[in-house]
Amino acid sequence: MTDGATQVRDTMALASALEAVLFTLNRAVTVLELQDILQSPLPDIEAAAASLAEALTGRGLFLQRHQDQLQLVTDPAQADVVRRVLRPEYPSRLSPAAYETLAIIAYRQPLTRARIEEIRGVNCEAVLESLEEKGLITETGRLDAPGTPRLFGTTMKFLQILGLSSLDELPPLPQSASTSS
Amino acid sequence: MSREIAAELERDPVYVVRTAAFDGPIELLLSLAQRAEVDLKAVPLASLTDDYLRAIEQAAPPLDQLAAFLVIGARLVQLKAAGLMPQAAVGEEEDLQAWEDAIKGRLEEYKRFKELAESLMRRHASGRFTFAGLLEPDVIPQARVQVSLDVLASAFRQVLDRLPPVEQVTVEMEHVSLAEKLEELRHMLARQAPVNFSAVFRHARTRLEAVVIFLALLELIRIGEARVAQASAFAEITVHGQERKEAE
Repeated sequence: MTDGATQVRDTMALASALEAVLFTLNRAVTVLELQDILQSPLPDIEAAAASLAEALTGRGLFLQRHQDQLQLVTDPAQADVVRRVLRPEYPSRLSPAAYETLAIIAYRQPLTRARIEEIRGVNCEAVLESLEEKGLITETGRLDAPGTPRLFGTTMKFLQILGLSSLDELPPLPQSASTSS
Repeated sequence: MSREIAAELERDPVYVVRTAAFDGPIELLLSLAQRAEVDLKAVPLASLTDDYLRAIEQAAPPLDQLAAFLVIGARLVQLKAAGLMPQAAVGEEEDLQAWEDAIKGRLEEYKRFKELAESLMRRHASGRFTFAGLLEPDVIPQARVQVSLDVLASAFRQVLDRLPPVEQVTVEMEHVSLAEKLEELRHMLARQAPVNFSAVFRHARTRLEAVVIFLALLELIRIGEARVAQASAFAEITVHGQERKEAE
């Protein structure tokens, strides 16, 4: 057997192990944790994740990735049937300000509240607080600047309410007419 | 450039500035200040505008002259302010065009995000969620009441059904005070959280008492001292005590 074929077999075995782990843990798991759990280096984990995502195409489950976290969730195409077996709780809509703020954070993360307010031109304290409470955004760190302001980023849950497999699946940022600053 | 200005000045200066640091038409002051050939810090702009206001009270100049003074005056204030800022480099703040471009760029940036926000909203509204396992339906929880009111109401119905039926109608004065039940609930939640929904009613002897306890629970939820949750579909509802949030 060639090395290439061995590699493919190993990747598939690791993908199966990855699937089992994600199913059991039933939460977002970081690739760092997975290296430890699966006793494999990062490139192998990445290859296994790609292999698993591909294997799940057309299945009821879906591999979701938010930056360095992976989670096994249901396919967004099955949302209706899944919702039927769960509580019939309809998700609350967000305000236009919340979607705007989410969009800015999703494309420009990590960033500070000051930067968000610069783009929106209004105070964003309340809307950030509400998005954080809903678990759609989180503090991802502190900016190394006077006052060490908080940096915001999106969460796994952000992907879940939009049914996205990863942040890469967001619609492309429209190009500005003039050169961007 | 300076020749054009000079020519224009000869025709009709907007205003002639008379200060110790500068003496001449205000147009010239601006053009020198832009080239850093006059120190604006030495020119008292506040008294300059005061003088101008006094001057126009006496002789009302045409509107375009007033407008020209406003534009020049604003520009002078901007230059002076920029000069006072410690890190502003000379030349950078003088480019009004760049400043306008920055504002325009920001508006454009905002417009782009507004479009994206609409596409996120449509996507969210389509309800194509992904769910993370039966035990954790990852929908946005409503604050405090994480089970629907129907579920809460039917659970209460079950509590009522377990109470002994009313056998005969006896009119009896019964005093069950809401304040008292509120205190009891607070006590219970402070001691041991979370508490099962049915356990909250364990000591209720009558329907009235159960009703008052239920009212007390709703009140605690309303003022933010308690919340109810359900770990999964059909699971027991639990009541959690929590610190009251003043903001809400």
